[in-house]
Amino acid sequence: MSDGNAEVRPPQQWSALILAIARKQDKAAFGQLFGHFAPRIKAFLRRSGLDEHMAEELAQEALLRVWRKAEKFDPGAGDAAAWIFTIARNLRIDALRRTRGDATQGASDIDDEYLCDDAPLPDAALVQRQSGEQVRRALASLPPDQRRVIELSFYQEEAHGRIAELLEIPLGTVKSRMRLAAAKLRSLL
Amino acid sequence: MSITCHPTEDLLLGYAAGTLDPGEQIALATHLLACSQCRGFVGAMEHAGGALLGALTGEAMTDGALERITARLDEAAPVQTAPPPPSKHLRELGGLPAFVRRLHTEPWRWVAPGLKIQRLKPAAESPTRVFLLKAKPGIRLLPHGHQEAEMTCVLTGSFSHDGQRYGPGDFDCGDHASDHEITIGNEGPCISLVAMRGRLTLHGFVGRLIQPLIAI
Repeated sequence: MSDGNAEVRPPQQWSALILAIARKQDKAAFGQLFGHFAPRIKAFLRRSGLDEHMAEELAQEALLRVWRKAEKFDPGAGDAAAWIFTIARNLRIDALRRTRGDATQGASDIDDEYLCDDAPLPDAALVQRQSGEQVRRALASLPPDQRRVIELSFYQEEAHGRIAELLEIPLGTVKSRMRLAAAKLRSLL
Repeated sequence: MSITCHPTEDLLLGYAAGTLDPGEQIALATHLLACSQCRGFVGAMEHAGGALLGALTGEAMTDGALERITARLDEAAPVQTAPPPPSKHLRELGGLPAFVRRLHTEPWRWVAPGLKIQRLKPAAESPTRVFLLKAKPGIRLLPHGHQEAEMTCVLTGSFSHDGQRYGPGDFDCGDHASDHEITIGNEGPCISLVAMRGRLTLHGFVGRLIQPLIAI
C-alpha cells in the first residue's frame, strides 16, 4: 500500500475531506485521509518509542477517531493536520501510561485533560496569528538547530537524553536550548 | 482577571506536545484554564505538531489496513461513559479544570500554623506530586533555598515574593533559587495548586520544608 509521501496538497484540502466525512460519511474522503495521515502517525509513534505493532494499531485507531469525531472538527479553529496531531498525541499519552502500567484510575480520558471548555475564548486575531500557515512560516524562519530542537521536543520519554545525543550537546544544555528555541518561536508569532 | 506570570514557552510546548508528566500536565492545564494568551500559544504549538506530522516520511501501514478499518466505520462508536462527578472536596473550588476536580484527594492536613495541604492523585503515576496549598491571609513564609522544578498556580487569593505579586491564574515556575520571603496577600486565604518533583511523604517534605521556617 502506498504511504502517500508523494502527495502534496494545500492544508485546506485535508479540512475539506474531514468536512465531507462529517456531512455525508464520505468513505472515499476517509480513504484519502488514511493514505496521507495513517503512515505519518505510525512514523510519529515509532519515533516516540512505540513498537511497530502498537504504532500500527494506534495509527488505525487515530483514523477511526477522525471518522467518529469529524463532526467536532472546526476548520475555523485550526487546520486539519493540527487537529489530527492532537488525536495522535492523546492516543500516545494514553498508550504510554498504559504500557507503564501506571494508569491509577482505570480509563483516564486524555481528551478530557486537554479540554478547556469553560475558559474564556482567545481573541480571533490571536487565533489567526497562531495557526496554520503562520506557524509554518515561523518554524521555517527559525535557525535550523533551533527548529531541530522544537521538532525533537515533540517526542516522548527520554526526549532530553536523545536530543543531547542527536545534537551532540551536554544533557544539561538541552533544557536551556529548548527554552530558548521555544521562546524564539513565540516571538515570531 | 489579568494574568501577569506565565509558564515558560518550553513548558507550553511540552504541554502541546504531550510530553509532560501527569502532575505537570495538571499544573499547566490549571493555568491554561485562566489564560487565553497561553492557550493561543499552545494552539500554535499544536499546529507546529501538525506541520511536523505532515513533514514526516510515512511508515507503510500493513497490507489491507485501510480495508480493515473501513469495514469498521459503520460500527457504532463505543458509548461514552459519563465522567465521574467532581470530588466533594474540590467541587466548590474555583479555577480548576473539570478533569482535576474529578481527581481523588486526600483530606486537608495542617502542616504548619496557618498552612494546610491537600494531596491530589493524578490519573497516572507521576514523578511530579500535586497538592493544594492553603495559606492564611497575611502570613509570611521562608522557604528554604532552591526547590527542584516546582510549579505553582494560584486559584484564589495571592502571594508575593521578590517584588512580584501572584494572583488567581498566575503561574510561578519556582526553578529560580528563591530563598526569599513569601508573603500571603491580606485579601483572603490563598489557595494554590502546586506540582513538585521529588518525594512528598506524609511526614517528610512539607513539614521539613516549611514548619521550622514559617514566620507569622
